Amino acid sequence: MKFKAFLTENGINLLEKRILPALDKMGKISHLYLTRDHAIFLHNLLNGHGIQSIAQFKKEAIFEDYKISSQNDDKIAFSIDLSLLHRALRSILTIYAESGEAHNPSEFNFGRLQIKLVKKFPPHSNQPMPFLTLETKGSKSAVVQDVPISKPLSRADVQELQMALDGAQEMPKTLVKVSELNSLQNFVDRMKHVGDVMGVSISKYGDLHLQISTTSITLGAEFRKLMVIGERTDGRPEDGNLSAQSRTERAVQRGDAMTVQGSCLTVIFQFFIPGTRQTDKSISLHCRLPVLDPGSN
Amino acid sequence: MSSSAVEGETPDLVCELDNVQGIVDALTSVRWKRHQDAVVELSEHGIVIIVEEISCLQAKVYLQRELFVRYEYGARGRPRFGVSLGLFVDCLKTFSVPGHSNILEIQYPGPDMQLLLKSIDSVDACLYAEVRTRIPETVSWDYNFEPAGSIPLSFTVKSAALKEAIDDLEWPGSSIQIILQPDPPSVTFRGEGHGDLQIDFNYYANSELLIAFSCDRQISHSYKYKFLRATTSNIPSSVIKDNRGSKLTIGRGGMLKVQHLVSVAKLSAPHNHVDSAGYQQPSRIAYIEFFVKPEVEDDTGSDS
Repeated sequence: MKFKAFLTENGINLLEKRILPALDKMGKISHLYLTRDHAIFLHNLLNGHGIQSIAQFKKEAIFEDYKISSQNDDKIAFSIDLSLLHRALRSILTIYAESGEAHNPSEFNFGRLQIKLVKKFPPHSNQPMPFLTLETKGSKSAVVQDVPISKPLSRADVQELQMALDGAQEMPKTLVKVSELNSLQNFVDRMKHVGDVMGVSISKYGDLHLQISTTSITLGAEFRKLMVIGERTDGRPEDGNLSAQSRTERAVQRGDAMTVQGSCLTVIFQFFIPGTRQTDKSISLHCRLPVLDPGSN
Repeated sequence: MSSSAVEGETPDLVCELDNVQGIVDALTSVRWKRHQDAVVELSEHGIVIIVEEISCLQAKVYLQRELFVRYEYGARGRPRFGVSLGLFVDCLKTFSVPGHSNILEIQYPGPDMQLLLKSIDSVDACLYAEVRTRIPETVSWDYNFEPAGSIPLSFTVKSAALKEAIDDLEWPGSSIQIILQPDPPSVTFRGEGHGDLQIDFNYYANSELLIAFSCDRQISHSYKYKFLRATTSNIPSSVIKDNRGSKLTIGRGGMLKVQHLVSVAKLSAPHNHVDSAGYQQPSRIAYIEFFVKPEVEDDTGSDS
């Protein structure tokens, strides 16, 4: 079982600034699943509790000189503490930023940041342990960071992970596209002070309706005429003057809207190629939020 | 109460606001604990929100009708209702979009006596809320504030300095004595408890901080620290930065009145704020008043 690659500068930035901080919020521990073509971070796919997230990268999005081999069709998976990985990456970047300024920045060679799987004897132990090692060799110094990881998953577990991955990427029939993610996030952030449980409805006309309802308050937001991906229906003009709540109720009755229940809410994030509005297809982030039993709130 | 009860009738109040954050700031200033009931009183002049700690402390936020871009009052008398202050503030916060001017419509009552809120500035995105109201509890004691004599006993101090002084007095804690004396004109906050701490504002030496002073005789009253603290501790830092003054007045029986001003100006280019050196149209200010009852009196206090 071997894995060895170099992180590209883009890859380092992507992981350090965007992906790892975001994934860390979904849970500290994640599976890292490496195949011949992809690196995939997976949260909670095997135990099924909590938020499930899948961040998939084509190897070129992060790595170069990517080499992987295993007896299980060149697939390797293990658990890793994302905050440790993030810290290791940040530490290396800091060391380089500092030495880069101290020496001659124009001639400073970033070296290359190699990432590989190793087995090492930790201090005071004669049991070798697996690590994901980050290693740079500059002209004057070398920095090595060992991030402890779990034992690689067995062939059966990897297969189970792969199956869960295939299943989790099933698309819902109707998706709406929220282009102003910031305002939605702001709103949801503020809503959480009012209540813990939120109802979500999505209609085939492109309406997204969020609502918190407790004994003392009902607080909701309706975003209309969003872009619909998948099954769609034209809106009913006669619904135009209704309140957001009645409009949603009617749409649900007609079968034109789904109130999320039973399974999960799927949220798919698209990434743009930096500086453009073009979707970067080499990266994808899917999240699935388990739905609470409506009786339990 | 069924929906038909209200149908066809004009609501008591329909109003529109263009600066939700200003109202959030004003209400946050009187939110000194987590679970707090507030009484809301509506009139043709505006909205008053009253919060109190039974028999010790009362706060009022005055939102005059001039703060609203639309204010349609349709009730007879002065309707009152109770709401949970914390919930109301958290709810209003969801309507306040940073750096974005938006219009909020408030209506009372809804079909089930709720307070209805709705954003009305965008056709394709709508936020709404229905806040359940309660029958208000009667306000427990009358805070009729009367002047202590012909010349008011009052001083105005920069809000930031007042807040800092009161924060510092946390260390001795428990009971804080406020002393005003005319010669030399000065104000002293003295805390005795775990230790002694005295903070003096001298009118001549600290004219930057102590902006106005009126007092014809020495007077001294003591107040519980936690109530004194409640008058300044929750003022949002954005309000403190406006660099306004807070006015403190001692009335009959040692009742302390603390007044703050919170800007509810329409959000415009942020530079205007600085250029006009804190000047705002007086009509776009929310007034906040706290009344603090003194501790059992020593002989220096005037009788009530």
